[in-house]
Amino acid sequence: MSVTSSIRRASLVRQGTLLCILVCIYAFLLVPVAIVILTSFTGQSFPAVPYDGISFQWYTELITDSQLLGALVTSFVVATASSLLAVAFGTAAAVGFVRAEFPYKQQLSTIMLLPMIISPVITGIALIRYFGMVDVSSGYPALIVGHSILTVPYVFLLVRSQLVTFDEDLEKASRVLGADSTVTFLNVTAPIISPALLAAFFVAFVVSFGEFTATQFLISPGSSTVPVEIYTMLRTGLTPTINALSTVLVVVMVVAALLSRYFEN
Amino acid sequence: MSVVVERSPVPRWLTERISNRHLVAIGVGWVTFFFVFPILFLVVESLNFGSGGLFDAYRRATGGVYLNAFARSFVYGFVTTVVTLAFAYVLAYYLVFASDRVRLLLTLVVVPLWIAYIIRYFGLLLFFSPTGPLGQVGLEIDILFTSTAVVVGLANAYLPFAVLPIYNSLNAIHHETIDASRALGAGQLRTIYEVVVPLSTPGIVAAGVIVFILATGSFLGPAVLGGPEQSMIANEIARTFLEAYNIQLASALAVIYTVLLVAFIAAFNAVFDLQEALGNL
Amino acid sequence: MLEVTGLTKYYGELLAVDDVSFHIDEGDFVTLLGPSGCGKTTLLHMIAGLREPTEGQVKLRGEDVTDLAPEDRNIGMAFQSTALFPHMTVRENIAYGLRMHGYDAEERDTQVQEFLELVDLPDHGDHHPDELSGGQQQRVSLARALAYEPDILLLDEPLTGLDRVLREEMREWLMTLQRELGVTSLYVTHDQEDALSMSDKVIVLDDGQKQQAASPERIYEQPANEFVATFVGKSTRFDGTLRSVDDRPIVETDETRIVVGTNDRATNHDDGEAVSLFVRPEDVDVEPATATADGGTTTTAGAASAAPTAAATVENAFPGTVEKIANLGNRTEVTVALESGETALANTARFPNIAVGDEVTVTFDSESVVVV
Repeated sequence: MSVTSSIRRASLVRQGTLLCILVCIYAFLLVPVAIVILTSFTGQSFPAVPYDGISFQWYTELITDSQLLGALVTSFVVATASSLLAVAFGTAAAVGFVRAEFPYKQQLSTIMLLPMIISPVITGIALIRYFGMVDVSSGYPALIVGHSILTVPYVFLLVRSQLVTFDEDLEKASRVLGADSTVTFLNVTAPIISPALLAAFFVAFVVSFGEFTATQFLISPGSSTVPVEIYTMLRTGLTPTINALSTVLVVVMVVAALLSRYFEN
Repeated sequence: MSVVVERSPVPRWLTERISNRHLVAIGVGWVTFFFVFPILFLVVESLNFGSGGLFDAYRRATGGVYLNAFARSFVYGFVTTVVTLAFAYVLAYYLVFASDRVRLLLTLVVVPLWIAYIIRYFGLLLFFSPTGPLGQVGLEIDILFTSTAVVVGLANAYLPFAVLPIYNSLNAIHHETIDASRALGAGQLRTIYEVVVPLSTPGIVAAGVIVFILATGSFLGPAVLGGPEQSMIANEIARTFLEAYNIQLASALAVIYTVLLVAFIAAFNAVFDLQEALGNL
Repeated sequence: MLEVTGLTKYYGELLAVDDVSFHIDEGDFVTLLGPSGCGKTTLLHMIAGLREPTEGQVKLRGEDVTDLAPEDRNIGMAFQSTALFPHMTVRENIAYGLRMHGYDAEERDTQVQEFLELVDLPDHGDHHPDELSGGQQQRVSLARALAYEPDILLLDEPLTGLDRVLREEMREWLMTLQRELGVTSLYVTHDQEDALSMSDKVIVLDDGQKQQAASPERIYEQPANEFVATFVGKSTRFDGTLRSVDDRPIVETDETRIVVGTNDRATNHDDGEAVSLFVRPEDVDVEPATATADGGTTTTAGAASAAPTAAATVENAFPGTVEKIANLGNRTEVTVALESGETALANTARFPNIAVGDEVTVTFDSESVVVV
C-alpha cells in the first residue's frame, strides 16, 4: 500500500509540475495580448490595468483622430485588394502545380514560398527600390502589390493542400455532359473550391492587416497603415490610444481568422 | 438551388490556349516579376560603380558594427530556437498524449498567430515596463532593452510556429508504439528518450528551421524590446536605408544576409524537405 | 457506331495504349477487360475526348471525332467515383447534361422525371448525392449520363466500389436498362465476371495491346493466347511440345504426354512447336486412385463433364495427390499436385468423397484441351 501511494504521490507531483509549466506557457503566449486589450480601458493617461473602473475615453480619442481612422481605412483597402490579388495568383499557381507535370516542378514551386522565408526588411527595401524603377508609386500601389507578394505563399499552400483532394472526375463528367472548360470551371470547380479560396482570402487578409516590417518602406505620407501608426506612436511615447487602436486591430484580425477557419472546415 | 452557367463568357479559342502550365507561369511570373527580380536588383544596387572598388559596400558591410549585428542575429536566432523548441516540445507532448481538450488548447496556441507581431511585442513591452501591470502591483522585472528581453520576445512571437510541426509529428506516432515500449520494460522517461523523441525528429527539425529563419531575420523584436546594443541585422539594414540613406550599403547587407540564409536553407533542403516543413503552418 | 483505328498513346516514353483497333455495332454492349494499368482507362478517355491520342482515329456514327472536345461528342459517361456534383441535387445533376445540350426548362423537367423513374428513384430528385447509398448514386450517375440520349454510353468501372451482392444486382439491372434503351455501350472493367456475364463482345487488353476480341463464350473457351487463358478463368496448365502421333496431335512435356483434341484449337500450330495447354476446372474430373480400375462405381465424379469415354480416360489420366479442397458454396475446387509436376484444378460436387493427402487420378477429355 505504502509503495503504491508513494508512487501515486510522485506522479501527482510530476503532474502538478507539468500543469504549472503548461499554464505558464499559455500565459506567456496569451497574456501580452490580454494586457494590450485590458489596458486600453484605463482612465489614466498611460496604459495601466483599469482597477478603478473601465473607461472608453481612449476609444473616443481614437474615433476623433482622423489620421488613425485614415490608417484603418488604408489597412482595410490594402488588405482587401492585396488578398484578392494573392488569391488570384496563388490559386492559379496552386491549380497549375497540382495538375501540370513538368521537370523541376518541386524546385520551381519553392519560388512561390520565398516571400515567406526572406526577411521582410529585405523584401521591403528590395520592393521600394524596384518599384521606383518600374514606375509603381509608393503608397497604395506599392502597398497592394507588395502585400500580395507577402501573402501569396499562404494562399498557395492552403489552396494546394485543398486541391489535392479535389476529384478531377467531376470536371471530366462535366465536359462529357457537354460543358466546355470555362463553363465547367464556373459550374463545378469554382463552387467546390470556393470555401478554400475564401479561407485563403481571409488568411491573406490577416497577414496583410498585421504586416509592419516590409510595410514601413512602402507607405507614402498619405497612406500609413495601422501597424505603422502603432509603431510610430510607440517610438514617441506610450499613450492608451495605442492600446485602443491595437484592440481594434486585434478584433479585425481575429474576426478575419475565424472566418478563414469557418470556410476551411 | 445552384446557379448553372450554360454558355461560356470567354471565347473558346482563348480557353483552349490556356493550359495548366500557363497557370503555373501566371503565378510564378507574378512572384518572379515582383519579388525575385527586386531581390536580384539589390545585387546591382549593392555594387559601387563610382570611384573606389566595385565591392566597397561589402568591405564596410563585413566590418565593425555590421559584423556584430550579423553575429548577434545568429546568436539570438540560435538561443531563441533552443528555448522555443524546449517549450514547444513540452506543450505539444502534453497536447498529444495527455489532454482531452486538444481542439481548444491547440486553437489557443494558434490564436497568437492571428494577431500582429507589433501588438504582441507591445504587450510584452507593457508587461515589463515599470508602469505596466507588474509595476502597478510593485513587482518590477527589470529586463527591458536587454538581450534577455529580445530573446523572450522572439520566443513569444515564434513559439506557435514551433508547436504545430512538433504536434503533427507527435500526433502521427501510433500509441501502440509507446505502449509496446512500456510493455517491454522501459520507464516513461526512457520511452520518451528512446522512442518518442526519435520518432518526432522530423517535426523538431522543421520547427527548428522555421523558428531559426524567422528569428534571425526579425526586425520588430529588437526594435520594440531591445536598445541600440541589441540591434540585429534587420535593424541595421533598415537603419542604413531609412536613416543613413546609404542604399548601397543596405543592399550589400541584404545580399550577404540573403546568401547566408539561402545557403542554410539549401543545406537543409538537401537533408529534409522544406516544403513539407512549411506545409505544417 | 463506334470505330477505333490504330489508337496509340504515349506518356512521355511510356507506351500506354499500343495501336488498338476495334468497332462496336449499334446497340451492342462491349466490354474492355484487362488488369489495372493495362491502358483500358486511357483508351476510354481517348474515346471520350478527355485525353488526346498520340496516333489513331476515333469515329462515332461514321464521323471522325478524334479532334473534337469531349463536350462536342454527344457521349454519356459513368465513372467509378460516380462523379456526381456534390453541390447539386439529384435533379440538378441529371438536368445538367440536358441544359448543356440545349433542352429548354420544360423538356428538362419531363426528361429528368422520366429518367428518375427509369432508375427507380422517382422520389429522390431533391436529395443531394451524399444522402444516397452507393448503389443509388451509381444509378443517378447513369441517369445523368443517359438523359440527353447520347450516341454511346461509356462506363468506367461503375460497379467496382460496390459490395458483392449489390454488384450482382446492379449487373442485372444495368443489362436490363441497356437492352431497354438500346444504347450502344462500352464498359471498362478488370472484373471478368462483369465482362463475361453482361457483354455481347469482350475485348481483352493487356500491356496496352488488344489480346482478343470475341464473344464471352469464345473468350472463355477458346482464349487466343496465354494471357487471355490465364487472365480469364482458372486452368490447369501444361507446357510442352506439339507432336503428331498416328495423325492425332499429342503434346509432350518433360514428364508426360497429353492427347489434344482434333478441333481447330490445335490446328494453328506446327509440329515441334512449343505450346501451352489449358484445361478449365469444370472439364477436369478427379477420382480416388483405386476407383479408376473398377470403372467408376464410386460417385466421386466431377460436376460438369459427362462420363468420360474409356479411351479418353486412358489417354489423359494423371496420378497425383490432393493438396487443397476449397468449398466455394455452389461447388468445390480441388487442387491436385500431379506426379508430373503440374498443379491441376478440378471442380467437383459440393462434398467430394476425397480428402487432402489422398492419392487420386485426374482425367479430362482431349476435346476440352485448349492449345495456345
